[in-house]
Amino acid sequence: MLRKIIAIMLGKIVWFILKILGRQATVLPGRVARLIDRDILKKLSRNISEEIIVITGTNGKTTTSNMLAGILKEKGYRIVHNQAGANMLTGITTAFIKETDIKGRKKHHYAILETDEANVPLLLNEVKPRMILITNFFRDQLDRYGELDHTVRLIKESIKGKSLELVLNADDPMVAHLASDTGATAWYYGFSDTDYDSLESRESREGRYCIFCGHEISYRRYHYAQLGSFFCPKCGYHNPEPHFTGYDLSLQGGISLRINDLKITSSYQGFYNAYNILAAVAAAKLLGIENEVIEQAIKKYLPPSGRMETFIINGKPAVLVLVKNPTGLNQTLHTLQYDKRSKDVFFALNDNAADGRDVSWIWDADVEMINDINYKMVICSGKRSGDIAVRMKYAGVDSERIIIRTLLKEGIEEALRSEGETAYILSTYTALFACRDILQELQTSASAGEKGSKSLSAV
Amino acid sequence: METIKIAHLYPDLLNLYGDRGNLICLQKRLNWYGFACHIIPVELGEDIDFSTLDMVFMGGGSDREQNLVYRDLFRQADALWVEIEEGMPLLAICGSYQLLGRYYESIDGKMMYGLSFFDFYTEGEEKRLIGNIILETEVTGEKKTVVGFENHGGRTYFNDDTLKPFGKVLRGYGNNGQDKTEGISYKNLIGTYLHGPLLPKNPAIADFFIQAILKRKGLELKGELDDRIENFAHEQVKRMLLGT
Repeated sequence: MLRKIIAIMLGKIVWFILKILGRQATVLPGRVARLIDRDILKKLSRNISEEIIVITGTNGKTTTSNMLAGILKEKGYRIVHNQAGANMLTGITTAFIKETDIKGRKKHHYAILETDEANVPLLLNEVKPRMILITNFFRDQLDRYGELDHTVRLIKESIKGKSLELVLNADDPMVAHLASDTGATAWYYGFSDTDYDSLESRESREGRYCIFCGHEISYRRYHYAQLGSFFCPKCGYHNPEPHFTGYDLSLQGGISLRINDLKITSSYQGFYNAYNILAAVAAAKLLGIENEVIEQAIKKYLPPSGRMETFIINGKPAVLVLVKNPTGLNQTLHTLQYDKRSKDVFFALNDNAADGRDVSWIWDADVEMINDINYKMVICSGKRSGDIAVRMKYAGVDSERIIIRTLLKEGIEEALRSEGETAYILSTYTALFACRDILQELQTSASAGEKGSKSLSAV
Repeated sequence: METIKIAHLYPDLLNLYGDRGNLICLQKRLNWYGFACHIIPVELGEDIDFSTLDMVFMGGGSDREQNLVYRDLFRQADALWVEIEEGMPLLAICGSYQLLGRYYESIDGKMMYGLSFFDFYTEGEEKRLIGNIILETEVTGEKKTVVGFENHGGRTYFNDDTLKPFGKVLRGYGNNGQDKTEGISYKNLIGTYLHGPLLPKNPAIADFFIQAILKRKGLELKGELDDRIENFAHEQVKRMLLGT
């Protein structure tokens, strides 16, 4: 008991100090608390009165968990929810430390725990979720965890024999099989045919081979990447029938779609976000939330930093986008095709641990799509500015239109100066916040300058 | 226009960490030099007529995939070896490189046989060797640095000490993390652990293959490409690793 209180107290103190210093307090408080009381997460997670929901997968877990949290908050529930990026055990512990009282007894209704794929087995040792939602399994962070097969197997083993519900993407052959041989209850979400499907996938795909028999998987249609209507010609493995079906999808100026009897509109963009919405809605329905509450919450929800946030600098819009793997980059380039304006594309490529040390993933993406997006200049920045510049050149961008500015600020200024009607600021994770700060600052000083010149002309 | 034919062996099975970038690079450079380039994907079960090809490329793959490939390629290995002996360029990355040796014994004791073109073997270990790597190679006839990214659990050892490594490791692990060797080079064949992908940031190596292809066809390489962007990227990694 005492141990628990000391752990919470110290965790909170560390959190408070980091906040005063203006640092990110997402990991260290939890780490300190766990050093003092190894079972602190186990203990605090018992204060959840309703349910614990774990959200994992390669792409979309942050957006999906934010949306689900938004829906539950709309309903008036108190929730514990870890911060994006802090999705290892220490980050999750921090979320609980921050929300609890000093005795560690404060109750919350729900916990929404976003976690990395490889972290799921560890997390299940400490908390007892009712539900695990899996978005998709794409090639990502391979350098940290070895190959995808291995990760999927680990998750499957950790689920075995536990009584929980799985909320699974029916359109991903790497995910849809996960309930088999585990005894878990499975709920599926997926899309029926959409106007955006293709019969051929241009993108590099995971899971082309059947998880059960090893034969190559066939597709009737692709929604994007490996997500689609699939079947194995040899053993018959195919999409399970979804309990939550997305249809009437439109991606013009945002997203609108029907999910069973719900009508959803959102200011998010891109097919991948339609999947995130579908996943969040499926989970919310399973938790018994009413349609109106869900529809309202998603409508109100605006994209946070790095997910298509727009700045206006001297009249030129600059859209900030986080890209971190081939699928995400493909999706971004797809989305850019919908925007017909001429554009300057800035790309900051870093290779810090949180970005993935290996930058070769840019060659697994179909950067060749850049030829269809009406670009003026491509500005290459970040620690690996050279790598992205080479990729752009070999994707077909003329050398004359490639500018290398390794320093972020110089690169962003270059993109704003160039003649495109709009600028897209693409960035990997560790450059994202610096890019955002630069854009924020430029936006503020530009609008101040504008006001200044106006008042001057009035004089 | 002369058309160069490059076979991409098992693209669905062997393509890790952007290895297909090597083919994008060769194709573009050949185009810029004034040649057409046709990439021929070869799937499992297909028969290959190696004598009609100008080059063969094989990327990296996971253990399961290596085994499938071995079984399929084994039946055509003799024909492939004839061409290699006659100077056909071949680039094999990571798992495919391991396949050129005798065997790969995985960490859990599973044996995967190789084509035994060369007398070397590979043993899996728990700790993967991961990170940026820089080598010095002389395959082009002069000393050149080569940069890339390695990510392998296997350690490769030469039994035959007349075998020539692709390069000497300046920073990184290479074949086994011990003897400073990396990869293998034999005539116009290179086997290596380097992803990155290898060729785009090392235009000298890309042109080594292109030279070899053209020479074999009795063609000449004319003109020079503007490699400022490629060299910038090369130097950026080199600076990061060597601090010069």
